[in-house]
Amino acid sequence: MHWAELIAELVLMPLVAFIVGLFMVLMMRKIAAKLQRRVGPPVLQPLYDIVKLFGKKTQTSHGLLHDFGIVMAVGGYVAAETLLPVPGMNGIAEKGGMITLLYLTMIPSLGLALGVGQCANPNGSIGISRALTAMLAYDIPFVIVIAGVAMHFGTTNLVDVVAQQQAGGFESWGAVQMPLLALAGLFALQGMLGKQPFEIYVAPAEIATGPMVEMGGKFLGGLFVMQCFQLYTASVLYVTLFLGGGENWITFLAKSFAVLVVPMSLAFLFPRYRTEDMLAMLWKWPVILGLIGLVFVTN
Amino acid sequence: MSDNELVNQQFPVKVEQPGGSGNIFARVFDELTAFCRSRSLFILHYCTGCGAIELPPAMTSRFDMERLGISPMVSPRQADILLITGYVSVKTLKRVILTYEQMGSPKYVIGICSCTVNGGMYWQSYATAKKLNDYMPVDLYIAGCMPRPEAVITGLRQLMENIRRGEANGWQDYYQRYDHYLGHQQRLFGETWQTPTDVIAEAKHYGLFSNETLGEHTKLLQQHQKPLEALEMRLGLDSKDKVEP
Repeated sequence: MHWAELIAELVLMPLVAFIVGLFMVLMMRKIAAKLQRRVGPPVLQPLYDIVKLFGKKTQTSHGLLHDFGIVMAVGGYVAAETLLPVPGMNGIAEKGGMITLLYLTMIPSLGLALGVGQCANPNGSIGISRALTAMLAYDIPFVIVIAGVAMHFGTTNLVDVVAQQQAGGFESWGAVQMPLLALAGLFALQGMLGKQPFEIYVAPAEIATGPMVEMGGKFLGGLFVMQCFQLYTASVLYVTLFLGGGENWITFLAKSFAVLVVPMSLAFLFPRYRTEDMLAMLWKWPVILGLIGLVFVTN
Repeated sequence: MSDNELVNQQFPVKVEQPGGSGNIFARVFDELTAFCRSRSLFILHYCTGCGAIELPPAMTSRFDMERLGISPMVSPRQADILLITGYVSVKTLKRVILTYEQMGSPKYVIGICSCTVNGGMYWQSYATAKKLNDYMPVDLYIAGCMPRPEAVITGLRQLMENIRRGEANGWQDYYQRYDHYLGHQQRLFGETWQTPTDVIAEAKHYGLFSNETLGEHTKLLQQHQKPLEALEMRLGLDSKDKVEP
């Protein structure tokens, strides 16, 4: 590949992810509004929020690590976007693969832990300890799912995974071939997005939104940007592994948004679990589903 | 030629227009920020009195505040608006001022209910602060006992309009006339009153330092002000050297 083309893709992929992510945040808030019989926010509301937060005059920083933590949180996802193949753009997806992506999606949580740690706010510390516990909970089923998909397709290369599914048509989609693993993946997705009932680290009434308690201005703006990336990364990864990637942008975006509707709709039906209940549930049901799914995986 | 004109010729004076410099891009950016500020308001969940009960209906399905871009937040660091919903007792007012000083600028205060305007039905109470405007800059009052959710929404829309036009500048007033506000606070809380926030340093930082920032009351504050210290970290609180209550 020509280097100019590669650089253009590396710049474009996170940019596209951000814009699509803004609409995903909007969809999340609209679904919440519809389920609660409200009208919901205007179309550009996520953008207004971010511009306003970065335009705040006071940007209270608690030190170097506080700044660096947010950069790490957003940077981890920006790096992850370049490893996710989208229609017409592969970026460096061929060089990376699922294992690299798995590691990169953990970096934001660790970055946040660093940043929040320096705030020295007890609510923040409780929040981040819960966030890392949540990561421990959803990563076990997530790794089983990744392993199953890699065994089925005989590769960890995401470009190959997409190519195999598109060559074989609908019957060769991951979700059709490995329904149990796809279900376990949905469970893990719910935990990964931090949606109810697994919303243990953003507990507004209990620990004042946990990791975000000391974040104002550009720091909260950074976290809003991170949320856009997070929704995009999680849904695109699921589409790539189980729904045959995207042949073109229309089907790709339709699939990505459709994947997110499931956790977001479920989120407003449930209250929040306690931390240990989340661990117990995620280590039991999706892990059992995933392990049974692994048995039926055929190469 | 008068002296004044002579001076003007030698030292050409550039009159700054209100609304920023002549750079058109800076102007566009300022307008955009002001518009986004007015369309995205995070309110702080710190409700002091009975008026707070009007907020749940204003937020939920019937009136739906989120249509206007107004959503609740729980931490002062994230918030733009501090809603004072009802009477503030002397004890509560201390916490309200602490909360207000921790919010990031630009920040706005809305006084809801008659009690924030003039004490309302607590006019003769020894424990209620009567005029909220004396202790912190209030951008907007929504009067009533209590105001209906329609009135709350109308008030918030008015605030949005003021922000868009750059007229909601109460927070600047707090830094510019800090001595005035501090005087009222000291009258109520005693002369040793201090908050952890260094408002004078912040006023200098924002370029809002004026003649009225310092005065007799800030002089009194500086006599006893202790800088904010980090909390002492210690393990084993039941050891011999534990802190006596």
